[in-house]
Amino acid sequence: MALSAQDKILYVANKLGLSTLGQMQGSTGAVYDVDTDISGQIFSSASRHQNPGVTNITENQFEVNEALLVEAISFYVKNEAGNVLNFQSVYGSNAVLVFDLIIGNKRTMKDTPVFAAGTPYTFANTGQRTIASGVDVVTALSPRNQIFMEGAGILIPPQVQWYVDYRIFDVVTGATISATDTTNIGCYLFGTRVLLNFNTSI
Amino acid sequence: MSQVGKLGYVDSKLGAPTSGQQTTRILFNTIEAPGTTSSLSFFKNFQGLTNGQTNLTQNKLDSMESMVIKTIWLSQFSTSGILTAIGGLAQQTLSIIVGNQTVVKNLPIQFNQGTNGQAFDRLHEQGGAETTNIIGGTALIQIAMPCEIRLLTDIVIPPQVAFEVRIESNAAAYGTGAVVCALAGYGKIFSAGSSF
Repeated sequence: MALSAQDKILYVANKLGLSTLGQMQGSTGAVYDVDTDISGQIFSSASRHQNPGVTNITENQFEVNEALLVEAISFYVKNEAGNVLNFQSVYGSNAVLVFDLIIGNKRTMKDTPVFAAGTPYTFANTGQRTIASGVDVVTALSPRNQIFMEGAGILIPPQVQWYVDYRIFDVVTGATISATDTTNIGCYLFGTRVLLNFNTSI
Repeated sequence: MSQVGKLGYVDSKLGAPTSGQQTTRILFNTIEAPGTTSSLSFFKNFQGLTNGQTNLTQNKLDSMESMVIKTIWLSQFSTSGILTAIGGLAQQTLSIIVGNQTVVKNLPIQFNQGTNGQAFDRLHEQGGAETTNIIGGTALIQIAMPCEIRLLTDIVIPPQVAFEVRIESNAAAYGTGAVVCALAGYGKIFSAGSSF
């Protein structure tokens, strides 16, 4: 039988000596942030970002007894008006985002591509867009730019810093594509969440 | 058996290291300007490719790395970046060779493409979606979806064993842009732990 998300969290917590993590509130959650500096890193400067317009965290580490088992990672574009846009519809189908997920001083995902045309694990398109006004027919597909983790995900433990390192390329020519102020890259980390629960201690 | 169990089982049978960072691994390789041909070989040539066209430098994983192939992903782009059906509408077959063994043999790929797709499994209901676009697709207006096949069995690429993905057809047209193949699944990457 495959390892469940809860089992994986408790396994890692036990390895790290986090004996009380199992008593906390289990939940589902996601964290997000945008690389507004165009530095190639997401989440590392979250403490300086507007909440919740740009990010929903105050720093890139969880507090005591909070954690996130990352089960899906997805990327999007945020323009200067603050709108969240589909990666493909801004960068084009031929763009590919290659990223690493670093937790503490460890690279837990390595040179992982997210194809704008729809990553592996697409299975479905996220939506169908009508481009021309007044035209009823669907004229474009918005693919998912999302990685679903195989196995049981990767745990971000409490009080350990994490960030996503990324580069964008044109997969046809191999050339690097630079983000701009109007095409900032954002990232969601979604999965099983552990929330601090004081129980009877307060 | 889960992917995690299968990888551990094969690694132990081969005497390969079972430690390392567990992760989700996606390997990819690009062939530039393939033109019209009867055979494409992915993960064979890495010369001249940038980090945006492949994430390997040779056709094998490092000594402490291994992975399960669970998903095969294929795409074709025109020179202007428009996503099109791989090989057009021509019937094509895909084989994966690991070491000296064929582990996927002549699997038809058309079943999961837009227009002519007949998905074998329910997961791909819209994986091969394509829309009839009255204004025509561009790089920014995508009207098709990539080809993707979710394997029913977990196939392991062990450490330091050469592998290759081969697509065969009767002279299918792949254009002058690029074709990309990605292999995705559960994997292990080298982790120094406390050894450095």
